[in-house]
Amino acid sequence: MERNPYLPIPVEVVKITTEVDTKDIKTFRLAFTKKEDEENFKYMPGQFAELSLYGKGESPIGIASSPTQKGYLEFTVQRAGVVTQALHNMEEGTPMGVRGPLGNYWPINYLEGKNVVIVGGGFAFTTLRSLLNYMLYEENRARFGDITVVYGARSPGLLIYKDELTEWAKRKDLNLNVTVDKGDAGWTGREGFVPTVCKEIAPSSENSVTVICGPPIMIRFTLPVFFDLGFSKENIYTSLEMRMKCGIGKCGRCNVGNKYVCKDGPVFSLAELDKLTKEY
Amino acid sequence: MEKRIIKKENLAGLVKKLAAERTVYAPVMEGDNVVYAALENGKEPLLEYGNTKDAPKNLFFPQAETLLRFLRTKRGMELKEDATGKAKEVVLFGVRPCDARSFVLLDSLFDQEHWKDPYYIERRSKTTVISKGCVHPPYSTCFCTSVGGHPLSAEGADVLLTDLGDAYLAEFLTPKGEKLLEKWGDLPKADDAAEAKKKDLLAKAESEIKSKIPGKEIKNWLDANFENPFWDTIHKSCLACGTCTYLCPTCHCFDITDEMKKEDGKRVRSWDSCMYWLFTQETSGHNPRTSQKQRWRQRLMHKFKYFVDNFDAIACVGCGRCVMYCPVNIDIRKIVTDISKL
Repeated sequence: MERNPYLPIPVEVVKITTEVDTKDIKTFRLAFTKKEDEENFKYMPGQFAELSLYGKGESPIGIASSPTQKGYLEFTVQRAGVVTQALHNMEEGTPMGVRGPLGNYWPINYLEGKNVVIVGGGFAFTTLRSLLNYMLYEENRARFGDITVVYGARSPGLLIYKDELTEWAKRKDLNLNVTVDKGDAGWTGREGFVPTVCKEIAPSSENSVTVICGPPIMIRFTLPVFFDLGFSKENIYTSLEMRMKCGIGKCGRCNVGNKYVCKDGPVFSLAELDKLTKEY
Repeated sequence: MEKRIIKKENLAGLVKKLAAERTVYAPVMEGDNVVYAALENGKEPLLEYGNTKDAPKNLFFPQAETLLRFLRTKRGMELKEDATGKAKEVVLFGVRPCDARSFVLLDSLFDQEHWKDPYYIERRSKTTVISKGCVHPPYSTCFCTSVGGHPLSAEGADVLLTDLGDAYLAEFLTPKGEKLLEKWGDLPKADDAAEAKKKDLLAKAESEIKSKIPGKEIKNWLDANFENPFWDTIHKSCLACGTCTYLCPTCHCFDITDEMKKEDGKRVRSWDSCMYWLFTQETSGHNPRTSQKQRWRQRLMHKFKYFVDNFDAIACVGCGRCVMYCPVNIDIRKIVTDISKL
């Protein structure tokens, strides 16, 4: 019989990074307590896990690290409810649990040989970061065509992964476009909403796939831009969020039609979403 | 398969014989209700009853169960115990065929190929189910034949008892069932006359189910009508009490919560219900199902479409509990019938 899927894998918080000025978004680096658990935890960009805090509960969070980064997992978490509040109060060195990897992942095989446009807004850049780091990994980079990134936040202080943004900006094999709705005194970068920036840089839809995550309002205004550029619904992917408990398609609350977001998702193409009911 | 005859006056004794060496759950009278309870201290099983008020799913998927235990230590919270591996050998006596069939439906979810549920599977595999066929289906609300069942169905049972009038025909259907026969010893073999009588009863019992619904027939409509004005007509009197889901033998939605008592903690799984607002409420405040209309649509769709899509069976066994006990008389049979007329 497979491992008890309700049993969290023991991990330890080894590094906590406060990502934003408002201090309510932090990245937690978790190291496995047991070597064999680390080896068995095989995941792909786009998957998620249940962060398990005994005494508080569990929270389903996308994996922000890439499987090419060995020895740890990273999760970027906004402080919002009971579990994430407790997580934010934790210190480095504290033991906790992880259940996963759960769900499906970004269509890596389909992306091979194609140009990839990554569009992210706010702190919904977490599994996109996983995907980006996966594709940029030295041994993987040649498998993918041009990579374009449009990443936006409301203000410079709300951009996450700032150190990596600086590193990515230096790369020649990546077209990185970081934008903020409104800059501040120190901001020398681009200003403008994500849909506008997408329109300006107008990535070609030829042999290209867009992967998009962000607040619903951003997605609503960005999708028409990509349709105008000629992207078909089969070539636009996104990731859904729903309230979850079990994460393995049994507890019954995260279904959209007959699909469970935890098990059959969270990644869907727009073409797939079109076939589902609009109840998410 | 072994087929034996049990004299009517001997059945209670045989059940109590099993109860002497392991836990036997059987229908008993508790106040005004027939419910499943463990036969302890020589307690008699009820042999004449319609059906139990509670569905026997509780035996495999308890209303509340501990998944794991943990402990607060100086370092933080640490796992103390995985609560699997505790299930004991149990006999479940007197299950009606509709309820026994619900086990098969629940198996398809909890024991599916990937992501097996060890808590459910363990209890299920250690339980021997003795069904008692409905020679005379007990209620006017029984509609098992419309959703894939039969009043004398053996589905989900290890042993099936059929009342032949003067004695019970006992069919030992599985290896688990045959083990009981070893305990019961020398029961006379069923002869051709008994078999003929059973055959006769099959058709008779079926004809006594008067309540019929077009359970399978509405699937096409459900496939095409997630949005339809009809959905505005079914939920208005619903109190969102959840009784239908709690009494339903196939409803299996659950919550997982943590409880602390001083330094000891446990993670508990408990029944939840799609009838509740909080079921899908997200931390952000967003809720994909904010109205009782949406929740009722979910309940009906899950039973008559989504489960059919995923497991090729309707997630309803026609026991009629939700019809009988809904405080505002919402009748799922009427809803399904109304849909078929659209």
